[in-house]
Amino acid sequence: MKRISKLNSLKLLFLLAFLLLIACASHRSSYLDPNMDFGTIKSVAVMPLTGLARDQVVAERVRDVFINKLLATGAVYVLPVGEVARGVARAEISNPTTPSSEEVVKLGGIIKVQAVITGAVMEYGEVRSGTAAANVVSVALQMMEAQTGRVVWSASSAKGGVTIWDRLFGGGGQPMNTVTEKAVNDLINKLLK
Amino acid sequence: MISSTNFLSKVAWVFIFGFLSFSIPSGAQEVKKEDSVIPKGRITIAVFPVENLSGTLAPSKEIRQIFIEKLRANGFDVLDEGTLELFMAKYRIRYTGGINREIAKAFKQEVGTDGVLMTTLELYNDTNPPKISFISRLVSTGDSPTISWIDGVGLSGDDSRGLLDLGLIEDPKILLDKAMKLVFDSLNRSLSTGTMGIGGGNPKRKFRPKIFYRSPILEPGRKYTVAIVPFFNYSLRKYAGDLMVLHFAKELKRFKTFDVIEPGMVRQVFLQVRIIMDQGISLADAESVMSLLNADLILTGGVTDYEDYQGGVGKPKVSFSAQLIERKSRGVVWSSTSYNQGDDGVFFFEQGKIRTAYVMASQMAEAIGKMIGK
Repeated sequence: MKRISKLNSLKLLFLLAFLLLIACASHRSSYLDPNMDFGTIKSVAVMPLTGLARDQVVAERVRDVFINKLLATGAVYVLPVGEVARGVARAEISNPTTPSSEEVVKLGGIIKVQAVITGAVMEYGEVRSGTAAANVVSVALQMMEAQTGRVVWSASSAKGGVTIWDRLFGGGGQPMNTVTEKAVNDLINKLLK
Repeated sequence: MISSTNFLSKVAWVFIFGFLSFSIPSGAQEVKKEDSVIPKGRITIAVFPVENLSGTLAPSKEIRQIFIEKLRANGFDVLDEGTLELFMAKYRIRYTGGINREIAKAFKQEVGTDGVLMTTLELYNDTNPPKISFISRLVSTGDSPTISWIDGVGLSGDDSRGLLDLGLIEDPKILLDKAMKLVFDSLNRSLSTGTMGIGGGNPKRKFRPKIFYRSPILEPGRKYTVAIVPFFNYSLRKYAGDLMVLHFAKELKRFKTFDVIEPGMVRQVFLQVRIIMDQGISLADAESVMSLLNADLILTGGVTDYEDYQGGVGKPKVSFSAQLIERKSRGVVWSSTSYNQGDDGVFFFEQGKIRTAYVMASQMAEAIGKMIGK
């Protein structure tokens, strides 16, 4: 009887340890090509982002913040948007928000970049939960190698939203610009770490 | 009895302090005293019709007339209406927001004008409390037109309400007179002392760009010639891109490290080279513009928010990105994102609140100029 109870407590201990380990696990929201040498990327082009939110200008807002944040890291040079637009026109890319691998290779040759970044703004604006409201941003980006057109990095980030604090005390969450910066910082950390 | 006197004196001090602190203009940039009148060299100035970028009906003709009267009162010769109309018809001038080299040359040679005064109306709102913003500039004529003076003003009737609303301006005409006085003080000071601008020089920290990149290629202290190309307008406000160009021209001109090319000349080159910008200027186009204008840098960008508000409740909002492309390296040497609202950093009784997008955009542009130049 005593032996059975000892066995049960051991099982319980294992179960608890297993649950703790699961709790510590982080869900990965990014992909990094293990065979890619990111040190070779010196200049990138950021394509216009797909705007899936109601307001179409938000894609341009997020793109602008991402370009400046990426430039500010000093890790890579980002081509001016006008030069990217010229490349898109010369490469005859019909849909610059979602270029094909061949189009990326062609564009890379024209504007002389090592990588092309595309993406989408999936959510941007205010969300409501009961009486509480807060700003939320959800962005997904991917980097394609200009030489081969293959996806070498992909990540997504969602920031903001209604927190327990907002539910209890109201306040409307953080300003839209702050939430956008946080989401972009998160994406850049995933790219450069 | 003694304690009652103390109490009364304390109350009196509180009132005096309150009156003084609430009388300080919030946001509007003011000149503290009347400056001396400009030296009376007979200068002939042509006053262009006011370019109305406010998107609303505004008394443009009246504003122009006030300018003419004030210029005459200050000792300038103003080119008469008939001659100006004939000249504008001869050269088919319909755009009054700038002048190019050919027109500047013709102004000098044919009608003997020394300068052209151009005014761009940014905001005119006569709803109580009224609001007005405009930017004026004096461009020299001859072979190489340059900006001799540029300044502007952004005022709201409730900038300094004062105790019991004694400082509240409800009449748009009084506000317009106040704005005119500020601008002419600046013009007088500029022509007599050579300094530029109504106030400024030290923008608040909160107006600095939130994200920025500055290339080490930019040499501190070196004088750069800058061509400002129209900003892309993503905002709901009509002409916000053109307004940002004027704000940058005005603010960069304050710094000795920048020589700003007259926007009319930049426009002429755009028409000449037939540049149609798609999202921004390409490097090839930037190179053409810089070589034709002999500029070291091109400033470009996009405006995402440029909002004023009507009446007494609300807050202005401005957000934009700016990029500088350098001629030698053919690369981006400055890139920034700026965003502000009128109530940023305001916690008590609306002290420090900014009521026009003009004041905010000016300070944001000035902060960028300061950071690039250092």
